[in-house]
Amino acid sequence: MQRSEQKAIQVTDLTVAYQDKPVLWDIDLDVPPGVLLSIVGPNGAGKTTLIKAILGLVRPAAGNVLIYDKPYEAQRRIVGYVPQRGSVDWDFPTNVLDVVMMGRYGALGWIRRPQKKERELAMQALEKVGMEAYTTRQISQLSGGQQQRVFLARALVQDATVYLMDEPFQGVDATTERAIVTLLQELRADGKTVVVVHHDLQTVTDYFDWVMLLNIRRIASGPVDEIFTSDNLRETYGGRVAFMKTDKGGV
Amino acid sequence: MGNLSTLIHFDYTLMIVAVGAALLGTVSGALGCYAVLRRQSLLGDAISHAALPGIAIAFLLTGSKVPLILVLGAAIAGWLGTLLIMSIVRLTRIKYDSALAIVLSTFFGFGLVLHTLIQRTGNANQAGLDTFLFGQAATLLERDVLTIGILGGIALIVMLIFWKELKLLVFDADFAASIGLPIRTLDILLTSLLVIAIVLGLQAVGAVLMSAMLVAPAVAARQWTNRLRLMVLLAACFGALAGVSGTIISSTASRIPTGPTIVLCATVVVGLSIAFAPNRGLVWDRIRQQRNRRDLKAAMEIQE
Repeated sequence: MQRSEQKAIQVTDLTVAYQDKPVLWDIDLDVPPGVLLSIVGPNGAGKTTLIKAILGLVRPAAGNVLIYDKPYEAQRRIVGYVPQRGSVDWDFPTNVLDVVMMGRYGALGWIRRPQKKERELAMQALEKVGMEAYTTRQISQLSGGQQQRVFLARALVQDATVYLMDEPFQGVDATTERAIVTLLQELRADGKTVVVVHHDLQTVTDYFDWVMLLNIRRIASGPVDEIFTSDNLRETYGGRVAFMKTDKGGV
Repeated sequence: MGNLSTLIHFDYTLMIVAVGAALLGTVSGALGCYAVLRRQSLLGDAISHAALPGIAIAFLLTGSKVPLILVLGAAIAGWLGTLLIMSIVRLTRIKYDSALAIVLSTFFGFGLVLHTLIQRTGNANQAGLDTFLFGQAATLLERDVLTIGILGGIALIVMLIFWKELKLLVFDADFAASIGLPIRTLDILLTSLLVIAIVLGLQAVGAVLMSAMLVAPAVAARQWTNRLRLMVLLAACFGALAGVSGTIISSTASRIPTGPTIVLCATVVVGLSIAFAPNRGLVWDRIRQQRNRRDLKAAMEIQE
């Protein structure tokens, strides 16, 4: 693969374990700039953990992650994050505009409050996801799809170069799914790199140009038309037990 | 004439007590919102119970009942209790609620033993230490109120300074960490603010029921608003209201402990809020349901 090019994300020998159980084993992943990559694998394959490890939210037992050749801590400003919708309490007392403005907190720094500029950026992001009519809506009064759009808008105001999204299509309606796909493709057209945890195998070839097949170990990664083969899929979804047995190498 | 002078004296004492209770309710009401929103309502209970041995040890070491010293002892013990809970959860497979129960009862039991020992020594100065169990607002002196005002004020100012950071920590800790906020440090900061609010209330409200001062105003306030800012403001007001009314009732009647009285007042506020608050209130809900049913029926009749 394009060895000479700069990598948007470079994961090397990454191993993550909870207690003694490996969740990710010796992962290598190179993501070139400007691709739309989906991470695909069965439940418990470590998809969310991989995203969190890239973001430094879980500490790896071994290995490291580079974003444009530098560790994540140095590159926070160019990385945007969309957590799983279910990871927060949507009954929290706040409204749509306020949640979107949280995407500016990193750039604002300590203590400074969001101003008119942050409000305008948040409004623009809400327009992009078609939620500009809901700015003052309490977030518990949104549908699942609308909540997901709010989270996307929050990532958009981060104005990042690399986006990491955890299951943005989870439990959303068809309209929202189309809107999100359009948005992802616009981001790619702008030269951004987007990594998406995805669970619907049917849509991988339609939505994404790159794919990573993951089941604790990396099965394969690369352009969809090369990697998304039935052999690789069978290996990802069918052979989990066999992997654990053959896997005795040291860290 | 004699009557008049007792009346004036009584009013002055009552005023001091009321001011103290109002400050207390404000601080614990505002900070309690964070405990409630993080689903850590029980942590307050653990902290207040864990603080009890700290008061006894501070007294044993210094022989003094200066509020600042006792508060400091309580704060350190409350803090250690909280740290212990967090470490147990992190290092063992014991779950949060079990860790909480273990620490709460162990510290509280230790505190009771120490208090009994102190009472046995017959130290004349010890009188009043037992108020920390159920609280006796009538024992609040000017210096106590001053301590509550200064420390509580500092806690509230810190909360306001780190308003947006704390809000993001409570709403979405993963996202907060991803943009570089030190969530462990913020977590410790928030817990420390809770510890301050709790230990300040121990003398007036008591260890047993102090956590209600954190939880009740916040729960009531949440019923009325969907904005964090308003919720914190309302909870502070509700806390002050419950504090003042509870202390006044318990101060006027003889020997009624303040803790239970304040908690009953707060319960009234919570009850009214759950029943009558617009949108979230039960009464409102019921009316809306009936209206919907009527509208639906009407629509069906029109179709027929």
